This record gives sequence, structure tokens and C-alpha cells, in this order.
Amino acid sequence: MRRLIAAALIVSTATAASDPVLPPYVPAYQPTDVDERGAWMIADEEERRLRDAPEVIRDPALNAFVRDVLCRTVGADRCAAIRLYIVRIPAFNATTYPNGMMTVWTGALLRLHSEAELGAMLGHEFGHFELRHTVASFRHRRSGNALLAWASILGGGFALQVATIGGFYRFDRAQEKAADLLGLRYLAASSYPASAAADIWVRAMAETDASAIGRYRKPDQRYTAGFFATHPTDLTRATYLRAAAAAIGVHGADEAARYRAAVAPWLPRLLADQIKRNDFGGSEYLLAQLAADGWTTPLLFARGELYRERGNPRDLVSAAGFYRDAIGRGDAPPEAYRGLGLALLRGNQAEPGKAALRDYLRRKPDAGDAPLISTLIAS
Amino acid sequence: MVVWLLVGASSASAQEKSGVKPGFTLTPGSAHIVLIRPSIQVGAQSTAGMFEPNADWTAQARDALGAALRTAERRLGNDVTDYVEPVGADAARLAEYQALFDTVAASVIEYQFFVGNRLPTKKRKDQFAWSLGPEVATLPGLAGADYALFVSTEDHFGSTGRKVLQIFAALARVPVTAGVHRGFAGLVDLRTGDLVWLNADWQMGGDVRDAAGAEKRVRQLLAGFPGKPAAAP
Repeated sequence: MRRLIAAALIVSTATAASDPVLPPYVPAYQPTDVDERGAWMIADEEERRLRDAPEVIRDPALNAFVRDVLCRTVGADRCAAIRLYIVRIPAFNATTYPNGMMTVWTGALLRLHSEAELGAMLGHEFGHFELRHTVASFRHRRSGNALLAWASILGGGFALQVATIGGFYRFDRAQEKAADLLGLRYLAASSYPASAAADIWVRAMAETDASAIGRYRKPDQRYTAGFFATHPTDLTRATYLRAAAAAIGVHGADEAARYRAAVAPWLPRLLADQIKRNDFGGSEYLLAQLAADGWTTPLLFARGELYRERGNPRDLVSAAGFYRDAIGRGDAPPEAYRGLGLALLRGNQAEPGKAALRDYLRRKPDAGDAPLISTLIAS
Repeated sequence: MVVWLLVGASSASAQEKSGVKPGFTLTPGSAHIVLIRPSIQVGAQSTAGMFEPNADWTAQARDALGAALRTAERRLGNDVTDYVEPVGADAARLAEYQALFDTVAASVIEYQFFVGNRLPTKKRKDQFAWSLGPEVATLPGLAGADYALFVSTEDHFGSTGRKVLQIFAALARVPVTAGVHRGFAGLVDLRTGDLVWLNADWQMGGDVRDAAGAEKRVRQLLAGFPGKPAAAP
């Protein structure tokens, strides 16, 4: 059984890069055997929960935009099988369930730069769905676990246990690679350039390094997958995706401007969630990436909040500067005045600080923290 | 790792327990009870103890348990109706209350039903005080209802491989359990939001996939149900 799956995976990866034509797709697939129907049942229950969950973002415009990118990547007949949920979690991830439920986390929307990159990520997730990886993984794990259970009673030795457990993770990594390469084939057949997939992983590595440096750790970006790694390393993925994309050739446009326009209304909220992760290095890197074409008001405000949160005396000076820059642009939120006031107060500049806080209350008299800010002004 | 896989849920876990809010009785024939959609999971237990969800068994259990619950409550003289789930914003609020009930029920089981693990304020018999808050009454579709009944069961039937392993493991003096049968049921007073009765059993009987077994399971789930006539079979 396991050999069959492995063989199927090898076949799918071998033909992936060379064949620009997508595999035939069966719409409205219904699970037939007992394992798969069980997996769908669990996924259906999970979807009932997620459908009504408070952490799902239901904004029609944003949902339509993400769905549109998915359909343009994998084609209209395929995307009909998918229900998309945008979940408010500030981490870089997306998930797929066997029944066609897909979640995109808001942390991913903040880190991607263009429709092509979003398409690459959604295409990877759809690859998991089309190759029905959940069920394959479940069966693989079940047979391996059964072997372990018998080995522990009949005495199979430590080497067998290590080999079996290692097999689980190797299998996971093989699935990820298969989904990556199938995702590339969707991109090749779409109007987006295939090179976008590798760019995501290059930036993910840089962010991990920046995050480590910000926490005074050595940036030890792993270059080989560890024994327990469920995914290939970012470097490995960037490398094989880059090579496969080169084989496909250059075509299409990545539509970065359209992507930025669609995410713009949500940017302040996404940035606020990111700042709360208490990851100075990573957030600073992200802001710099987003500000490649110049610092906009939301970015300046978020940078002020980031520095004020770290709160060294020198950071408070920088933060006040960023708030002032944001205010100088004329379209700053009232919270920029609050941030400026608090940063100045902590920097022992009482009068200008209180003036900025008064500005904040004038602009937002019904703010939730108005009583607290009033006591600061009165003190 | 492997030992954990084998033993899974330790067999010496909590026995059946139920708690009733002090002074609470349900006079038969007086209450209109709304049954919130039960959480039911039925499947097999693989050789190594993994849960294999089974869609058919779950569907059968959903039907059988629903019918058995209605029969049992009719015998107790209360009328039970299925809760019609709202849509839109109200559905989100219902989801939050379901999650809240699960959390409260898990807390009761964890901090009150284990004698050695009781919170300082839950030490004595008559200190069953848990609540979901009075706002639960504002959920739509609960007008005219007195109580909400929450039911949750989880069944993993041991597969043949698991049973064979159990026999061999017994020869090797390794304790292996086959099957997991857990369930809890709770009643919430919709006027105050208080949890008036909770019953949890980590080793239940009755095969939920057929009518007779589901009836037995419901009898166990409703054991200690307040206002139960003594003559109930």
C-alpha cells in the first residue's frame, strides 16, 4: 500500500515540471471508501464550526478577491470545489481539508506581495486537495503505527521504530513537494508567472533570520530538513521551485499593484495583529519589505507602535519621529496622536505629550481608553 | 511514545459522575427542553489506537441517539424539541455558546469530578455552582423553552487488529485497552444560564449504532437526571 502511494507520488513529481498540461480533473468528487468518507465527515464537522467562528473575516470584497485569484490560478472548474475562509491569525499559513475547505490566514495576506504569490500559495494548497493527501497520510500513519505497536510487544528493536517514525515525516515532506510542483503547473497554465512561488520562500527565510537576530539569537536558517521536519526546508523549496519555474519559462504578469489595492483597506488591522506578536526583528523586516516603494501612513504608524512597544529610551525617540511623520502626511488615524503623546510622556516631555493626548481625545472623544488618557492628561 | 500509543487513555480514569445544582429538581411534565445539536463521533480504533472516523456509523448513531433521547424524555414527562439552528450573526453566537458549554463541562469534569483535584470552592458535595451567564436566554429560538440539553458522545470501537494485539499484549503483561466510549450530557437553565445538571462517563456501555444500544447509552447519559421517576427502567 505504502509503496503504491510512494510510487504514485514519484510519478506525479516526475511528470510535474516537464508537462505544462494539467492532469484531468474530476469535478464534484465524492469519497467512496470508508477512510476517506470518515475524513470528510470530520472535515465537515470542522467546517460547521469554522463557518460560524468569530475569527473568520467575512468582508465580501476581500473574500471575492482571494477567491478570484484562486479561480484564476487553478481554473474555474477546479475552484468550484473549494470553500475559502479567511481566518484572522497573524502567522504565515494556509490549510486544506479533504472536503474542499481551505483556510487562508491573515498573516499570509500581510506577507505576500502580488496576486501571483497568493496564487502560488493557493495553488499549493489546492495541490494537496487534488492529490487527496490527508487520507493518504492518515493511512500511512495508521499502518506505521500498527507496525510500531506490534514491534513494541514482539520486540522489533529500536532501529525499526526509528525507521518507521522517520518514515512518517519523510512521507509528509514528499507530499509537500508534490503539492509544490503541482501548484507550479497550475501557475504555468494560468496568467501568473511561475517564478512567484520561489520568491515567497526566499522572503520567509529572511524574515526568520531577522526575527532570530531581533531576539539576540544566531540566525541559523536550517539548510537541511531535520528528522522531525514535516515540510522541506525553505531553502530546499526555493531551490527546486526556482529550477522548475525556470523550466516553465517566463510569462504573464504578477499583478502586484492590484494585490496591494485589494489588501490596502485591511492593512492597518493586519499590521496591528503583527505588532502584537512581540517579534521586533521579524516585524521590522516585514515593514521594510512593505515599504519598498516608500513609507505610507499605515506603515509609519505601525512602525511607531512597534518601536514604542519595545520601549527602550532610544526607541521612544524613534517612535515619536515615526508618529510625527505619519501625522505630517495628513491622513493619520487618531491613534497616531495617542502613540505620540505616550511616547513623549515616557520620554519625560510632559507638556508636548499631554498636548498630543488632548489632540487624540479631540479627534476620538468616544475612544474606549478615553477615561485612562484623561487621567494621564490631568496628572 | 510507543507506550503512550498503546495505553492511550489510561483505564483507571474517572468513573461515571454526575453533579446537580443544590436544591434543583425538575418536576415531571413541567419543562420544555431544547436539544442542542449533539456532538457525536463514531469510528473504529486502529491496531495502534488511532481513531478512524466512520461516517456511516456516525450517521446511524445520530439517528438512533436522537430517537432514544426523545423517548427517554417523554417517559420522564418532559417535551424535548430539536433546536432549530439560526443563521448569520446568531449562528456565530450559538457557536460561541456551544464552545463555552464544552469548556465549562470539561472544567466540571476536571475540577469537581476528580476527588483529588477539586478546586477549593468545589470541595463539598453541595457546591455545584457553574454557569454560562444569563445572556444564553437571548439566543434566538429559545423563547418559551426552559432548559437546553447538551449531549456529546465519542466512540472508538476496537478493530479486530486491536483486539488481537490486546490478546498478545496481555501475554506480554502489557495492558492494552480496546475501544473508547466517552460521553457527557448537561442541562442548562435558560433563565439564569446556570448549569443545573451534568453527567459524564468515560467508560460507557451500549452500542450507539443501533436502537437498543442507543437506548442503553441514553439511559446511562441521563443517569441521575433531576426529576427522574424511580420506576424508570
